[in-house]
Amino acid sequence: MISYKWLKELTGLDWSPQEMAERLTLCGTACEYIDKADRYMDRVVVGKVTALKPVEGAAKIQLATVDLGGDGMDVICGAPNVAVGQKVPVALEGAKLAGDMVIKKVKIRGVESAAMICSERELGISDDHSGIMVLEADAVLGTPLAEQLQYDDYILTFELTPNRGDSMSAIGVARDLAALGGTEVRRPSFELKEVSAKASDSIKVSIDDPEGCPRYAARLIRNVKIGPSPWWLKRKLLTSGVRPISNVVDITNLVMLETGHPLHAFDLDRFGSREVVVRRAADGEEFVTLDGERHELVPDVLLITNGKVGVAAGGIMGGLDSEIEDTTTDILLEAAYFDPAVIRKGRKHLGLVTESSSRFERGADPNGIPYAIDRAAHLMQELCGGEVLKGIVDCYPGAIEPKEITLRPSRCNSVLGTSIAVSRMKEILQGLEFTVTGDDPMKVTVPTFRPDIEREIDLIEEVARIEGYDNIPDAVANIGPLYTPLGRLDRFKADARHILTGSGFDEIVNHGLVHQNQSSLVNPGQPQVKLTNPASEELNTMRNSLVTTTLNVISHNLAHRNLDLCLFELGKVYFPGGGPGQWVEKERLVLAVTGHSPHTWRSRPRPYDFYDVSGAVDHLARHFNWSGLTYRPHRFSAFEGDLSFQMTVDNIEMGFLGKVSAKISEAFEIKQPVYLAEVELEPLLAAEEVRKEYRPLPVYPAAPRDLALVVDQSVKAGDLVEVVKESAGDLAESVEIFDLYTGKQIDKGKKSIAISINYRSDEGSLSSEQVDQMQKALVSRLKKNFNAQIRDK
Amino acid sequence: MSLTDDVARLRQEAFDEIGRADSPERLNQIQIKYLGRKGAVTAVLKGLKDLALDERKKVGAAANRVRAELEEQIKETLGKLSVAAAGDAFDYTLPGTAPRLGAIHIVNQVIDEACLIFQRMGFAIERGPDIETDYYNFEALNFPPDHPARDMQDTMFVEGNGVLRTHTTPVQARVLETQKPPIKAITPGLCFRNEAISTRSHVAFHQVDGFLVDEGVTMGDLKGALVAFCKAFFGEKVAIRFRPSFFPFTEPSAEVDVSCFLCDGKGCQVCKQTGWLEILGCGMIHPAVLEKAGHDPEKYTGYAFGIGMERPAMLKYRINDIRLFFNNDVRFLKQFC
Repeated sequence: MISYKWLKELTGLDWSPQEMAERLTLCGTACEYIDKADRYMDRVVVGKVTALKPVEGAAKIQLATVDLGGDGMDVICGAPNVAVGQKVPVALEGAKLAGDMVIKKVKIRGVESAAMICSERELGISDDHSGIMVLEADAVLGTPLAEQLQYDDYILTFELTPNRGDSMSAIGVARDLAALGGTEVRRPSFELKEVSAKASDSIKVSIDDPEGCPRYAARLIRNVKIGPSPWWLKRKLLTSGVRPISNVVDITNLVMLETGHPLHAFDLDRFGSREVVVRRAADGEEFVTLDGERHELVPDVLLITNGKVGVAAGGIMGGLDSEIEDTTTDILLEAAYFDPAVIRKGRKHLGLVTESSSRFERGADPNGIPYAIDRAAHLMQELCGGEVLKGIVDCYPGAIEPKEITLRPSRCNSVLGTSIAVSRMKEILQGLEFTVTGDDPMKVTVPTFRPDIEREIDLIEEVARIEGYDNIPDAVANIGPLYTPLGRLDRFKADARHILTGSGFDEIVNHGLVHQNQSSLVNPGQPQVKLTNPASEELNTMRNSLVTTTLNVISHNLAHRNLDLCLFELGKVYFPGGGPGQWVEKERLVLAVTGHSPHTWRSRPRPYDFYDVSGAVDHLARHFNWSGLTYRPHRFSAFEGDLSFQMTVDNIEMGFLGKVSAKISEAFEIKQPVYLAEVELEPLLAAEEVRKEYRPLPVYPAAPRDLALVVDQSVKAGDLVEVVKESAGDLAESVEIFDLYTGKQIDKGKKSIAISINYRSDEGSLSSEQVDQMQKALVSRLKKNFNAQIRDK
Repeated sequence: MSLTDDVARLRQEAFDEIGRADSPERLNQIQIKYLGRKGAVTAVLKGLKDLALDERKKVGAAANRVRAELEEQIKETLGKLSVAAAGDAFDYTLPGTAPRLGAIHIVNQVIDEACLIFQRMGFAIERGPDIETDYYNFEALNFPPDHPARDMQDTMFVEGNGVLRTHTTPVQARVLETQKPPIKAITPGLCFRNEAISTRSHVAFHQVDGFLVDEGVTMGDLKGALVAFCKAFFGEKVAIRFRPSFFPFTEPSAEVDVSCFLCDGKGCQVCKQTGWLEILGCGMIHPAVLEKAGHDPEKYTGYAFGIGMERPAMLKYRINDIRLFFNNDVRFLKQFC
């Protein structure tokens, strides 16, 4: 959060808040919201509490008389901190405050009140609702509050990308604005007056871990007077979402918000020594942060110590024991630079994210330290009456130098597809405070506040984002390969989806995460892939069968009274692979039915069963030319023993079909029969693709014959059809089962099957003698092979 | 051949004819043919007297049963035919009788729609494993070792150091290793994040990523391709803007916003009053990514993009709860038949 006025102050640009936000967003500094700072201050004025009276029968509220600079009025107030003589914000009737509160005339305990004394939260200033806001003593009665507080401003809220640590400050954002607006950042200038005593005589700094902390600088400021900050300072903090505390702390926060460099102020008297030693924490070392939390440290945490014990978790949070107090007089001011990775590990261990840690984590500027520490020292001198000791005690063992990167303008234009002039590229980079020498190529010196710029392509992005992506012309023609193939799996999936939905099946999609017990139940003994850190314990294993997730979906639907289901899914199952770091993923298809077929005005419902699933498989087989689809009884543990089959296509084991076992159904709380098939796609798709081929349409007439047979119930229709086809050879154009009957007239243990055979030759008309002869031969085979009784006419 | 068989055959023939009857007149003819005075079933009954007692009983029972069945079937069919009868009585408001239509899952419909647009632009489809290695999910894509996405809090891992891929860009890294430019492909698929399941977030989502690597590919090519996609996918009317952003594997990077098609960019609750909807991330493939796959970034450049599909699906169809996608409640699925 940064205030619009502050950005104007730093750039001198007179853009409207909307324009500023828009242009920043389009250069990569995304502004998410623009809020009027005074949006909850309309009809709120400065008043003075002149009298307080108790309200009879209400212990917690008082009647305050407020002077608004002319008329006085009585206001009911429940704040614990209200006192006579205070200047306070008074919201008049009709004022709209934060939290959708509108001020209306009210009567409480017979007392009328048409206004309200407000808390900071009600005014949208901060989250503080502990009491009413008390204004500066010189506030002018009757003045509109926004004017009194200089809140005629806008607050821009940014959502920054993780690479742009440099934008986490007013100056950083102003730098982008300046580059966009062709101007320069107006950094606050100041003259620091040091006393003659040298800081280095009073404090020593040493760094044990120069990788974690490449630079540590300290200044000493004596004889400060702790007190509240002036309003202009508080306002800058408040409009940036930071709570004012006291002048010294506020100054460190202001400089952080302004420059992006976090600072820390220690109470020198309570520091415990006159030396600063930066080192890694020892395993198990204890430390209490200034929020009062006790931490047990690990070496991941970089610790600022006084030579003996920790005084701050470096770059993350100060310690309780050396915190600034109201009585503090001497300040040890720290400005350091910490390695981003070290800060990240440290704050994760501490479980803390602070304004400081998030800035160091994204990369602060090691060479921005002198400006930041001097700016803060100057403000302490100005606002707290402090004496700044001479010199910065600066420990910077290995200076971090700015990088030099070559930029070829032709490369820039060829990557972007633009024709930006060399001079414009230079202008952009210089606008961002890069130093540029030469033209083609340019030598670009990258300031250390931009650690994200590492190579030429990063400079190209800088040019692009300031020039504006809108100014990169959109290509109008396609480029790339002339032709790209579509894989067989993708073609299969697309076709299968349409065939199955056309057959009345709804497609389901699962993420494939299940509980390990479900997996073990459905697919016992099969290896599983387990998650080491599941988002939820219920989803701790990857499915090794589509059956598991399908049953979950059926269970969910049945629980919602969706009782009739035809479902399919095309998805993956997962297994551990041959060794560590290896896994096997298999593409499968599952089909499942349960419940009843639709009840329409023309058809009665019947229970879904085996044939509803096998019928859908037949559709697929026909479309994909899977020949020789057969079912063989085979015991799968997920299925009922006598309703469990393996499916094969040309001897490729393609999957199984059956009725889900009672035990598994029960575990999934499914109380109706479920028939289900799971198909392994890989072998089917690996087999040679059979292309459809045109057969000439028949020229000669067909000779249809029907055949009714009575056979043992164990005889399979498929075997009968096989024999018919074998017997008739090419002359049987089609062989279909058209009736199946058991019951009266048919002996127990027998069934009647009717087969229609369409005889046809493509060499000539078949005579009825020829056909009769074939039928005769067929009948004798059927009698012999199946002991069939023929019910021929 | 026995008489009972004859009766059974007659029954079958009659049922077939009734099934094919398309008018009450035709049914009447069928009734006469089988049950009339000179009808086939009547003839069997009339012939009973010539049979031996045994045979008479058997055939008689069968024939009588068939007669009753046929009468019932004719009556029922007549009822249906008359409601669907021609002329004034024809009820064209009765529902049609084609088999019930199933629904392709809405998320797959949206993915297919996106993929088809890209396929028409010449993109191949490439796929890769859902369980990735750290190398392909992160390292090959220029993620620094301490990037937050490599954290347990953001990413789910499986035993054996497997990463449940957090995007489908690892497929790009795999394809770049095995193919020579020009390469132009999209990589649709399932991705995972370590998130609590709520109305707005889930442990899994679908992504369509894509990329092109060739000589002379520019950011203008990227913009042109994605403008074309957005117009095809969201409608010709939408405005499109490219905003600088950051991804480890692209540089320059951009976020693509389309004007809110729910309020025509005027500002509404869905677009948080901004008038824009954030739709996808993209950029020029980072030279380090090309280098890691063994391609010379001086010779080849490329672009890449990634679109999470649940969000546009939710926006397009006004779906307000992301959990609906994986719940697979058929009342939800069937809305998108």
